[in-house]
Amino acid sequence: MDPTTAMYVAQGIHGLAYGMVLFLVASGLTLIFGMMDILNLAHAAFFMLAAYFCYQFLSMTGNFWAALLLAPVATAFFGILMERFLLRKIHAFGLMSQLILTVGVSLVILAGVKIFWGTESLPVKIPPILSGLVMIGGMDYPVYRLFVIGMSLVVLAIMALLLYKTRLGKIVRAAVSDADMVNALGINIPLVFTFVFGVGIWLAGVAGVAIAPILTVYPGLEAQMGMDAFVVVITGGFGSLAGAFIVSIIFGLLSSYGVQFVSSLAPVLMFAFMAIVLAIRPTGLFGERE
Amino acid sequence: MMNKKVQWILWVGLIVILILYPKVFGIYYTNLFITFAVLAIYSVSFNLLLGYTALFSFGHAMFFGVGGYGTALALKHIAGLSLLGAMGMGLLAAIVFALILCPIVVRVTGSAFAMLHLAFGQLMYVLALKLRGITGGEDGIGGFPIPPFSIPGVVSINMKVPANFYYFAIVVLGVSLWIMWFFTKTPFGQIQVGVRDNAMRIDYLGFKVPQTKAVVYVVAGAFAGVAGSIFALFQNLIAADGAFSIMVSFAAVINTLVGGLGSFFGPICGAAIMQILEEVTTRYTDRVELVAGLILILVIMFAPTGFMGLVRLVKERWFSPSAGKIKLEKVS
Repeated sequence: MDPTTAMYVAQGIHGLAYGMVLFLVASGLTLIFGMMDILNLAHAAFFMLAAYFCYQFLSMTGNFWAALLLAPVATAFFGILMERFLLRKIHAFGLMSQLILTVGVSLVILAGVKIFWGTESLPVKIPPILSGLVMIGGMDYPVYRLFVIGMSLVVLAIMALLLYKTRLGKIVRAAVSDADMVNALGINIPLVFTFVFGVGIWLAGVAGVAIAPILTVYPGLEAQMGMDAFVVVITGGFGSLAGAFIVSIIFGLLSSYGVQFVSSLAPVLMFAFMAIVLAIRPTGLFGERE
Repeated sequence: MMNKKVQWILWVGLIVILILYPKVFGIYYTNLFITFAVLAIYSVSFNLLLGYTALFSFGHAMFFGVGGYGTALALKHIAGLSLLGAMGMGLLAAIVFALILCPIVVRVTGSAFAMLHLAFGQLMYVLALKLRGITGGEDGIGGFPIPPFSIPGVVSINMKVPANFYYFAIVVLGVSLWIMWFFTKTPFGQIQVGVRDNAMRIDYLGFKVPQTKAVVYVVAGAFAGVAGSIFALFQNLIAADGAFSIMVSFAAVINTLVGGLGSFFGPICGAAIMQILEEVTTRYTDRVELVAGLILILVIMFAPTGFMGLVRLVKERWFSPSAGKIKLEKVS
């Protein structure tokens, strides 16, 4: 295979891997918004927290797989605490209060992370089986990126099964369209809300662990991912998982090919895409019309 | 009337305090006060949208930044530009920018409006960082000449003297504040509140809702631009992080909420409270983020109506004629 094609394919893999991670974060955000009308500005802070947990568990157990399982769960636990003891109490005060509260929480998480782990970037080592390159069809692919893509697809499949094939999924979907009515039917909606919030944060946690070996762990992770994920949710349309998926992949590819061709303007491409979409459809690609 | 007399005395007292302030407190606190005043005007302009028309401009920093960059670029590239001319350029830039966004943003409300602004604000931030040739990237534009305030043949005041700049900034910001206050008191201001409370009814009454929103939007953007312009002149520097970053947008939201939503003077109180808190916390600890985060959480949890809400509660509890007779129900 000639080098030009190889470059295109390699950049494509990078873009897809980043797009999938982006989707994991954005899907949690859009799920929580679609169901609970909460704009969780602390979402990216939890994403970062998961990366730090991954580092911590890895240095304690030395086992990446244990960290991969434990870190998102530990993160989700903190997310549930926030939902249960903070967000629920101010639900009546509307969007503004939620935004300020979640900004406050993200500042506290950022400060806490700096107190416990300092501000240096911490390396996360991946197990030997995931490192290196694999040869497929005469080309080398980085194994870890393929693993990230595969893992994200598995998580996506599980989520889809859960949402569309189980009773719980049915309740969640019903709650998205009319939470009060579902509550009146005798289903414990506050509990379902807590569960969905936990799952949303767990998804961000999985993404945080997935990105840790690629970017290393440092406090700037939050800002880097947070804005991208928000732009994905806005462009894809609030509450739309399909929109989040498509836009995540587009953004992943835009950023990796963008870096290749117009390196200094790569971040602008994403925002320009968003601006064009919003100018035509103010509610996003798959958003419902108001 | 007694009340009117008291009011006059208070006004005169306020003006005397403002005039004497730099002489009494010295340069450090004078500069602090200018920062506060800039943030206060900026927050009031934000509240003009949120509190009066329920439009949540979650990227308000973009107007602040456009105003600042407009002034800085004008001073850098146009030789011999006067001070007011430079400010006018900043104002014009903010107005033009608001006019460009208008057709898109007046079509949406609620969280879609907020997110659109978050996104456009971030677009401006990235552009300011990346278009190095024009904006200077991370370093921003600094060291541009600050012209003296002059009326030809009458007076010329050197603006590089901090006390002089203080008076200039206070006058400009005071006039801006007065115009915004006046703006909310006009019949148009009433339509504005009507749009907030029941847009459909305002529409039935024959007023044009999108156009009303557009006018408020441009006015709010213009005054955020004035604040940004003064800020650029004050620092003699405008950079992406200080002008366009998400924290600048948050500052307006935080000031408004801490001070009290929907009251004209709430954001000013909020700006003062946050400024004092920041000043005090930086003196004792370098964990400013932690303190700021905890304060935000505490305010939202325990005083969701902000400072003005607390004032109102205290007034009702102890100073209303019926105090003591009615037991206030606990506001949950």
